[in-house]
Amino acid sequence: MRRLRHAVRRLLLAVPVLIGVIILNFGLLHLAPGDAASVMAGEGGAATPEYTDMLRHKFGLDQSLPIQFWHYITTTLQFDLGYSFRNDESVLSLILERLGPTLLLMGTAFLLAAGIGTLLGLLAGARRNSVGDGVISALALLASATPTFWLGLMLIIVFSIHLGWLPTSGYETIGAFNEGAAYVFDVGRHLLLPAVSLACFYVALYVRVMRAAVIEQTRQDYVITARAKGQTERGILFGHVFRNAALPIVTMAGVQAGNLIGGSVIVEAVFGWPGIGTLAFSALQGRDLNLLLGIFLVSAVVVMIVNLLVDLVYSVLDPRIES
Amino acid sequence: MLSRRSLLGSTAALTLTLTPQAKAQTAQRGGTMVLIVEPEPANLAAYMSVAGNIPPITTQIYEGLVGYNWDLKPIPHLAKSWDIAPDGRTITFHLQDNVSFHNGAKFTSADVEYSIMHVLKKLHPRAPIVFKQLTAIETPDPLTAIFHLDNPAPYMMMALSGYDAPMLCKALFENTDPASNPTANKPVGTGPFKFGTWDRGQYVRLDRNPSYWQPGLPYLDRLIARFIPDASTRSAALETGEVHYAAYSAVNYADVARLRANPILDTTSKGYELFAGLSELELNSHRPPFDKKAVRQAIAYAVDRQFIVDNIQYGFGKPATGPICSSFAASGIYTADVRRFDVPDRIAIANKLLDDAGLPRGENGMRFATTIEVNPFGQQWQRQAEYLKQAFAAVGIDLSLRNEDVGAWLRRVYTDYDYAISEPFVSNASDPVIGVQRQYTTDQIRKGVVFVNNSFYSNPEIDALFAAGAVELDPPKRAEIYQKIQKILVEDSPLIWLTEIQYVTIFNKKLHDATTGPLGTYSAFDRAWIEH
Repeated sequence: MRRLRHAVRRLLLAVPVLIGVIILNFGLLHLAPGDAASVMAGEGGAATPEYTDMLRHKFGLDQSLPIQFWHYITTTLQFDLGYSFRNDESVLSLILERLGPTLLLMGTAFLLAAGIGTLLGLLAGARRNSVGDGVISALALLASATPTFWLGLMLIIVFSIHLGWLPTSGYETIGAFNEGAAYVFDVGRHLLLPAVSLACFYVALYVRVMRAAVIEQTRQDYVITARAKGQTERGILFGHVFRNAALPIVTMAGVQAGNLIGGSVIVEAVFGWPGIGTLAFSALQGRDLNLLLGIFLVSAVVVMIVNLLVDLVYSVLDPRIES
Repeated sequence: MLSRRSLLGSTAALTLTLTPQAKAQTAQRGGTMVLIVEPEPANLAAYMSVAGNIPPITTQIYEGLVGYNWDLKPIPHLAKSWDIAPDGRTITFHLQDNVSFHNGAKFTSADVEYSIMHVLKKLHPRAPIVFKQLTAIETPDPLTAIFHLDNPAPYMMMALSGYDAPMLCKALFENTDPASNPTANKPVGTGPFKFGTWDRGQYVRLDRNPSYWQPGLPYLDRLIARFIPDASTRSAALETGEVHYAAYSAVNYADVARLRANPILDTTSKGYELFAGLSELELNSHRPPFDKKAVRQAIAYAVDRQFIVDNIQYGFGKPATGPICSSFAASGIYTADVRRFDVPDRIAIANKLLDDAGLPRGENGMRFATTIEVNPFGQQWQRQAEYLKQAFAAVGIDLSLRNEDVGAWLRRVYTDYDYAISEPFVSNASDPVIGVQRQYTTDQIRKGVVFVNNSFYSNPEIDALFAAGAVELDPPKRAEIYQKIQKILVEDSPLIWLTEIQYVTIFNKKLHDATTGPLGTYSAFDRAWIEH
């Protein structure tokens, strides 16, 4: 009950935060020079002022900023994210189209990174200064220092061009019209390289955080107590240390929720993955403010939800936190 | 550059226009062609945007009244013939019979009238130039469309392809706001391929039109336009054979040599003749010292154009001599007989011009400092600006580089005029009236309009010559007018013309007859076929 009340209070607090996000986004984006009409006219190569004015009128850019803002606020509060004139489609449907592939890629990368990273970090921390720790730490350092785009291109060169095992890019084999298990297998083949490239960087982060947390925890009194009770080292590590050391991992996972929706523009670009990151990038380039505001708002909402969940997980892992 | 086989193939395809069956001995039916389109278009509304990434897809779906042959002359397409009145003010088009749109509606002169008068004339960015003189289209019967013009407009015939003037289905546009028509994302035309699906962020799929009006065509079952944001990945996709075709230099120039060595790939530079890309430096003459002709000429002398071609464009291009590309030599419009800046003692001349202009070198050896607005459309412009910094330093001009994104760059250079030097590239298009005039006449000084006269050049003689060229029907007389324009403009150097850009198309050797005319990837792949 108390936990529920806590959650409801957090949800209510989220409303003013969201309104703040909306105002801030709108203000920041209108500071950028250039507008959608001039970019679209520029792409045309040769456009008349009448054409540019026509675009501005159609996009509502010929109205004063306060009126544009009022219009934006009122439609947003009615859960209408608006219309992308550049794409001639509603913002919501553009975002929803990309949400699936984004969540698939980020989810896979996240699970890979968190799983492998936590495990390796736990092993490294438990056997501090051993050869194994050295190897794991060195690999983690290397992985975190490797530029993602470079790793992605190297994976393409090795696995696509030389070995010919996996496709270079894309989400599925277009025109193959796969269905059922064949479709899942096909998407999986396309997913593997981008997920590994993206996970590689995060693995390193999780290893480092987990290792530090484990080392800190093994110095605590409760570990000595457990050892004095005669519990095995393995039992201490997985039964006591792991649960306490997992807290910073959960914190980091919460922080990274923003990436989960924003995606990785670089990995999406290298592998031609149809995610939200590249959508946001092209929207920015085209000054498609309605679409950008929509993406920012959806990202903000997801970050808030994940942070709420993280808070709840905290209180499960460590009941003291609730108060 | 161009393989002998593809040249032969293209020629064959042209000569056999009326009998495509004869080609079918070698051409194989079926298969899927995958092409790169970069970047992903925002929409497919070819009737109201000429963004370069739209026509590779829409010209498969929409067709125009005419096509163009390698001599850059109009050839029949949806119009099987036409008569131009001696005064040039009436053009009668006779349309192909039995052409239908993908929705089943028959294509008639009413569609021609509606497309041009009610959609293109209102929405197309180039319409105010191309269709300026067009006052009405008369439709005496379903297969005849008579164009009435106020004044002769010889360039109009050069802008009626499926790329410039797509023919739309009247029934889908009537009683709607053409600027927000559903066909913007689901085009319906008469072309060899029908719109299938658009999975945003990934691809557009087009399917064969089984009831295409040219019997036996197209050969391919399917076209897939893929969007891969990263240039290196695009190269990789060509190398693995996942992608068959990439036009408009969609890969890094640095990768081209490697791709060309790949046994499964071939390249061509044909198919860009009606684009005629020209890279330039725009100089703001409202900013001293660029108001002085001598200073502008000095800059023109200071640049080694061949160096840019060899080292920055990896050989894909040639030095420009003036405001009109050498591809217009075919119509006699182009001339190289102008003041030449590629002389051996060009640096000495530049230094003397600057000395005489009252700009002596200061203590640091520099005469004055200025800034170039780096073109944001790709890496090569950054490289070019870096080279220019060195070239300018040699004559005592201290050049700084400023990088901004597309929106900010356009606004600074064409709306706020807050610039000294900019480095755009423009298209001469299919006629000087469409692609050249806009940068030099007084009436083209238009705040907020991009790629027009932002150097504030104003010369009554040039204005009069361009006006005369636009209505002159006799080709030799017309050529003479434009040759005179080139001489005057190069002498005045309101802009610095750097290079003619040569694009490269990379394609899989299994793909045949993909480049069959001067519009290249801006025309249909109706005769393209894949070995399988």
